This record gives sequence, structure tokens and C-alpha cells, in this order.
Amino acid sequence: MAEPTQPVRIWDLPVRLTHWSLAVLVPAMWVTADNSEWGWHIRLGHVLLAVLLFRIFWGFVGTDTARFGNFLKGPGKVLAYLRGGYDEKANKGHSPLAALAVLGLLGFTLAQVAMGLFAGDPYDGATGPLNPLVGVGTADTLTDTHEWFWWVVVGMIGLHITAIGIYGAVRAENLIGAMIGGKGEKKLVVSDNSPTPWGRALGAFAVAAGIALWIYLGAPPLT
Amino acid sequence: MTRNSTFRLIAATPLIALLAACGGETTDAEAPEPAGDAPAEIAERQDNFEAIGDSFKAIREQLETDAPDFAVIEPAAADINTRLQRLPDLFPEGTSMEAGYDTEALAAIWEDPEGFNEAIQTAVGLSEEMMAAAATGDPEAVGAQVGNLGKNGCKNCHDSFRKDDD
Repeated sequence: MAEPTQPVRIWDLPVRLTHWSLAVLVPAMWVTADNSEWGWHIRLGHVLLAVLLFRIFWGFVGTDTARFGNFLKGPGKVLAYLRGGYDEKANKGHSPLAALAVLGLLGFTLAQVAMGLFAGDPYDGATGPLNPLVGVGTADTLTDTHEWFWWVVVGMIGLHITAIGIYGAVRAENLIGAMIGGKGEKKLVVSDNSPTPWGRALGAFAVAAGIALWIYLGAPPLT
Repeated sequence: MTRNSTFRLIAATPLIALLAACGGETTDAEAPEPAGDAPAEIAERQDNFEAIGDSFKAIREQLETDAPDFAVIEPAAADINTRLQRLPDLFPEGTSMEAGYDTEALAAIWEDPEGFNEAIQTAVGLSEEMMAAAATGDPEAVGAQVGNLGKNGCKNCHDSFRKDDD
């Protein structure tokens, strides 16, 4: 029957905190926009920006499973995964296909946040802090795009949640538990994730938060 | 097996929440449910404001260019003026955000009808000044009126009568 497995450390704490922060912040962005709470929409948008930037930095200086260089794979590996040539139990971290989802989730959300920074009209309600840097026409186009692009973000999240549902239902793979507790059942050949470099985590977060705050303040001296 | 079905439930929860959030656009939990369809004036005034915004932006876009085109500016200024004059007819009683409609029109409009009317007339007056500036063909004169109309016309009224908190 099945090969024996043991609990293995997969996701470091910064990755998990980042993930669940996004799961709370992204819907909150919708709620604040839908209720015209622009002050909150903008403040939370900058927290979201800080979280996204941190995750990107962490993708270069974080643990093994957090690094883009370790989980982003070429089309060959993605195709092999789709053909079933990937042993979930003998690997930890993002699968080659999931790596694309990570890129999509982070990339689309960051694009959405970036557009919001320029959106709005100074004579008509709230504006993003970088709105003065672009012309009226550009700001208008970015505002309109910011409105419909939300559904692209929702589509990507829908795919992500559907995939987790399929894993849970069909393959009985507990992905949510791993994202909460950090551990998952893997074959004995799979080793623990590398230890969390907390100094670098703190540094990456400080830089990310610093950039987000700087933009919130209008990116002086640019505006 | 129990473990598995628990996971499935957990996996399905955010999806259900997401669907619920998407479907909940028209129903506001706090506001009372208004009877019948939304009055046509709500959509009319929203379209009217959108068009005013577009004309105002068209003027400002021209001012950002090296050679502003007055063939765009003049009709846009006239359009703003015409559309501002329609506003008094587009706010029938009971069409506020507080009445449960999908609008940012505050109840203050009907609580302070004189103030609201005054704000509209101020904007109409400023839009006439904008038309006069556009007729001179002087970009600087138009630029000055953009600030004047934008702040004392549009924004002034939005601050008191439209939901818009920063």
C-alpha cells in the first residue's frame, strides 16, 4: 500500500502570515470600495501593498519553499505535472502549476494595487497618492481599468480556491492545514524546509513597509 | 474519513463566502429594503454626473497639451453648464442612500433643500464663467476656471451632499 509518511515543515511563518493577510485584505478592499469607504480603501490598499512587496522580497531572501528561484519551473515541468508526472508526496512546496498560480495571484493583485495608486480625480472624491504624477486622461483610464480588473483578480482567486477544493476532495491532500500549521504529510525522503532567517524577514518587512508608507505619503519629493 | 470531509468543508468555505460577497452587491445589510424598482432619476443623475465629469476631464486634458484645442473646450464647457441645470429635477424625495438605494446621495440633500439648491446654482454660475473663459481662447483663463469650478462647484457640493469620506 501507500509508502509511510511523516509530518514535514513546508511553509515558514512569514509565508503563512502573508497568505492569510492577503486572504483578509483582498476581500476587505472589495467591501470598502463597494461601500465607498475610500479612506479605508486607500489605507488598507497600502497595507496590502506592503504585504505584497514583502512576499516578493521574501521570494528572494526567504526559506527554500518561499523562493521564486526554487519553485518557478519551465513549461516542460508544468506539462509533466499536468500529465501526472509529479509525486505530491515526494515533493514539498509549490508544484510547477501552483507556481504559476502564485505568480498570477501576486502579479494581478500587485497590478491592481499599482493602478489604484494613480486612480481617482482630485475634483471628484478620493485619489491615489500618485494621481498627480499622471495626466487627467491617464488617471481616468487607470481608474476604469482598476474597476474591471478586480474581476481578473477574483477569477485568479476563484481558480486558486477551486484547485484547493479539488486537492482536498479528489486527492485528499490537506493544503489548508499546511498553510495554517506549516506542516504536511510527506514521504520519508522529503526533508524539512530550511529554517526561517528572522533577521532577513524583519529587514524585508521593514523595507516593504517603508516603501508602502513612502507612497502613502505621496512619494516625496515626486508629488 | 471525518478528517477529509472537514477539510472539504474548510476548502469550500472561502468559495462560498466569495460567492456570497459577489452576489450581495444590491442588498445593503444596514439600509432598509426600498419598495419597488429604483426611481429612474437615480440612473439619470448618475449618467448626467458621469457626462459632466467626462466633459470636465476633456477640458483638463486639453490644458495638459501644448496647444489646447478650443474646438473641444468650448462645447465641453457648454455641456457642463447644460447638464448642471438639469440637476434640480433629478433629486426627487426619497432617493437617498439612506433610503436604501445604490447611490451616494446623502439625506442632507432633502434635509437642507436651500443649501443644496444654492450649491447647484453656485456650480451653474461657475460653469457660465467657464464658458466665458473658453470663449476668450486663453488657456490660462480656462485653467483658472477649472480650479474655481472644480473646488467651489463640484467639490463644494460633494463635500456636503455626497457620501465621500477620506
